[in-house]
Amino acid sequence: MNRLTSWVRPQYAMPMRIAGGVLTVVGALMAWATFIFNSGAYPGKATLQYFDAPFALTDFRLHIALLGIAVLVVGFAPLAGRNRILRGLGWGVIAMAVVHLGFMIDEGGGLGAVTAADSVAFGGVVTLIGGLVVVLAAAGGGIEEPVHLPTRMPRYAAWPALLVCFAALLLLVSYTLTAGGQGGVANPYSGPLFLSFVGFAGGIMAALHGAGVLPWISRLSEEHRAFSIVVLLACALALPFTDAGTEYWMTVAANIGVYAATAIGLNVVVGLTGLLDLGYVAFLGIGAFVAANLSGAAAAQFDVQLPFPLAALVAAVVAGIFGAIVGSPTLRVRGDYLAIVTLAFGEIFVRSAQNDIGGLTNGSNAIPGVPPVTLFGKGFNEPLTIGSAKLPSGVLYYFMIVLLVALVMAVFANLKNSRIGRAWVAIREDEDVARAMGIRTGQAKILAFMVGATLAGLAGAVFAHKLSTVSYESFKFLESVTLLAAVILGGMASIPGAVLGASLLFVLPEKLREFSEWRLLLFGLALILIMRFRPQGLVPDKHRRAELVGEDAEGKSLDEADVGQVHLPDLGPTTKEAT
Amino acid sequence: VAVEVHVTTLFQQIANGIVLGAVIGLIALGYTMVYGIIQLINFAHGEVFMVGAYGGLATYTYVLPEQFRDDWQIALPAALVGAVVISVVTAVIMERFAYRPLRGGPRLAPLITALGVSVFLMELVRLKYPDAKAPLPFPSLFVDGALRIPVPGGGDVVLTWIKVLLVVLAVVLAVALQMYVNRSRMGRAMRATAQDADTAKLMGVNPDRVIVLTFVLGAALAGVGGVLYGAYQNTINVDMGFQNGIFAFTAAVLGGIGSLRGAVIGAFCIGLIKTLGGQYLPGGTKYDYVWIFVVLILVLVFRPEGLFGEPEKVRA
Repeated sequence: MNRLTSWVRPQYAMPMRIAGGVLTVVGALMAWATFIFNSGAYPGKATLQYFDAPFALTDFRLHIALLGIAVLVVGFAPLAGRNRILRGLGWGVIAMAVVHLGFMIDEGGGLGAVTAADSVAFGGVVTLIGGLVVVLAAAGGGIEEPVHLPTRMPRYAAWPALLVCFAALLLLVSYTLTAGGQGGVANPYSGPLFLSFVGFAGGIMAALHGAGVLPWISRLSEEHRAFSIVVLLACALALPFTDAGTEYWMTVAANIGVYAATAIGLNVVVGLTGLLDLGYVAFLGIGAFVAANLSGAAAAQFDVQLPFPLAALVAAVVAGIFGAIVGSPTLRVRGDYLAIVTLAFGEIFVRSAQNDIGGLTNGSNAIPGVPPVTLFGKGFNEPLTIGSAKLPSGVLYYFMIVLLVALVMAVFANLKNSRIGRAWVAIREDEDVARAMGIRTGQAKILAFMVGATLAGLAGAVFAHKLSTVSYESFKFLESVTLLAAVILGGMASIPGAVLGASLLFVLPEKLREFSEWRLLLFGLALILIMRFRPQGLVPDKHRRAELVGEDAEGKSLDEADVGQVHLPDLGPTTKEAT
Repeated sequence: VAVEVHVTTLFQQIANGIVLGAVIGLIALGYTMVYGIIQLINFAHGEVFMVGAYGGLATYTYVLPEQFRDDWQIALPAALVGAVVISVVTAVIMERFAYRPLRGGPRLAPLITALGVSVFLMELVRLKYPDAKAPLPFPSLFVDGALRIPVPGGGDVVLTWIKVLLVVLAVVLAVALQMYVNRSRMGRAMRATAQDADTAKLMGVNPDRVIVLTFVLGAALAGVGGVLYGAYQNTINVDMGFQNGIFAFTAAVLGGIGSLRGAVIGAFCIGLIKTLGGQYLPGGTKYDYVWIFVVLILVLVFRPEGLFGEPEKVRA
């Protein structure tokens, strides 16, 4: 890329911008697929045969045209950070073109699906070239310093601004979740449509980041913290009232929530304290099995039915105790040896659960029939009617899980900025120095394991009631890898990162029927590529990440940070001490 | 009579343990060499073993002409060569593109990468090798029949000839490797790099070559192990690498990671723990894996330098 961009002189940048934008728009106006594929006509009226009204853009072609027009507008407007914006838009175009081209070539069985000598079905190729030209033009024009928008404004201006931003975020989440619809045989193109929407949204986000808007929102919400938290929580609770408010999407969102909560718990151990835990999903399992056994299910070992909050508490405590046991070797074992010890504990848990140890797990028969949580006599799996709004079943679980994630986030954020949190970060950075500074490293490390395990145990209790069946199969080693991939993909020690990572890794299988098969392969590949090219993850934590990124590399690579980047002068007093 | 049966069972389980130990040993040598030189737990090494077994099977199924399949003097070497080639190529690619770019960086990053490589290879074989989603049958590749060793009390310990070959070959290869590392010029370079990479570099050792050689040797042994494992189990599956890889890592740690002799002795210990533990400890074969993990934890916590290793220097 760098070698390529060195050819592009600044004086070529303007014509290239225009050319790229025009190519993108023209590409969107052309047909993309030359014939009807076996799975049916390609969406967006992109098949040549249906292509009678080129200007009646729908679906993904509309999105691409919008990006192209945005490129042209930004290209002429003297905006600050113009090339950064263009670069984001260009990558968005490229991502969308690649997704659709890839699927068409795969479906149509070759390049003939997207090109034909006697027709104009070159849309994808033209768009791809357009996107590449835009990115090159942006690089040739010289990437500017990050734009810094002032946040000093009165409350009556800041609060509505934040309100609008978070409402937009809510809509974005809702659109993303429903984009392409539910995957499966009946809807073969949900995968490409979803991925292309992610590409579109990603392009817009990158452009907004380039324009300094996202960092500005991040700083503004930091300054009006309490207000932001309330609004964000309200937005999350408002999701069922949008298009995503169907039973299916509520279930998906709730599942994501459970794993996001678990991933944040794992983040305490891996992200904050720098201890690699390869058996973490066992704590989710312990919490789930404890809750299932106390739920009054027919296969439960104990013939009691505790109310859910009590059962969840017991599950969390038991998981926490096991966390302390698993964490105790940290007193003597460090680094990669510790990772192997946790792996061994995880395997012992799976083996024991598979063999129905003590009659607690019911072996390969699993514990079915865990009753749903009830509150005031209302089962959480029933639909809900608030006033005139009819909400689908599963929505109560969604509400509960949103609150759980909020609770876990609150615990994490407060711990991170507390004395013990700074001790953890110190241990992560250099354990010997931390000890020399008077931190009781042994206690702190065991506490990290305990806190992480407790949070996972809590999530496990919800998991048991939500799924109503608890089987050892859900807690195998590869699930630990998936959670770890979620944490690493999102960015270690970063809360939005863990949520984003968990969302990506658990939404994709719902959207792409091909993906569920390729899931683990791609996770493996993602781990390799992230460690190689972006060890700080998609949404990096603002603290220095010496454990994974060298100190020298840090300043440079964090410059590319997308969201949550806070510039040095804005660092609060607590974060300064921790850095 | 009961006691006699008991004695036979005991000896049979010991024999089984030694066979398993030979397989684990072939993998453990690779673990211990790589760790000794670049302090990396090459988590994906078990997968190299698995890939080797599939490479051997592919050579047998798709490359070897039909008429030679029953002729073990041709089929076995062919499968072994195919396995070694595939394993070595896999390991070299892995080293070049996954591990080398991270060398000299923080310690956790390569471990996570290794995890990724492991999952990636496992899934790649599962999805791309024909019918690999289910366990695949594996040819016997060696003379039929079994060695019968009478034991005191009247019974016989039965070992198929392929198992005998496996144990013999494992010991021979381990000894050969030990001699190569101790006597040859490249072996000296390896030991020098393991002791102090920077000084070795100053003495004219090319660390990249030494590291690649280490991966190649480990992968070749793992490939041999994969084929022989498949031949005596008569079936292979994509999980075999993960499982046996963990056993091998345990063996390498038990023997003292970095020590070749330790890895082999540790491997036989682990083999015996698994078979004897499955036979005599509570829970039976359902829990035999658990004992190995228990041993792993105990060794790592209480004697991380293992039986033959040097006491650890300060680890970051």
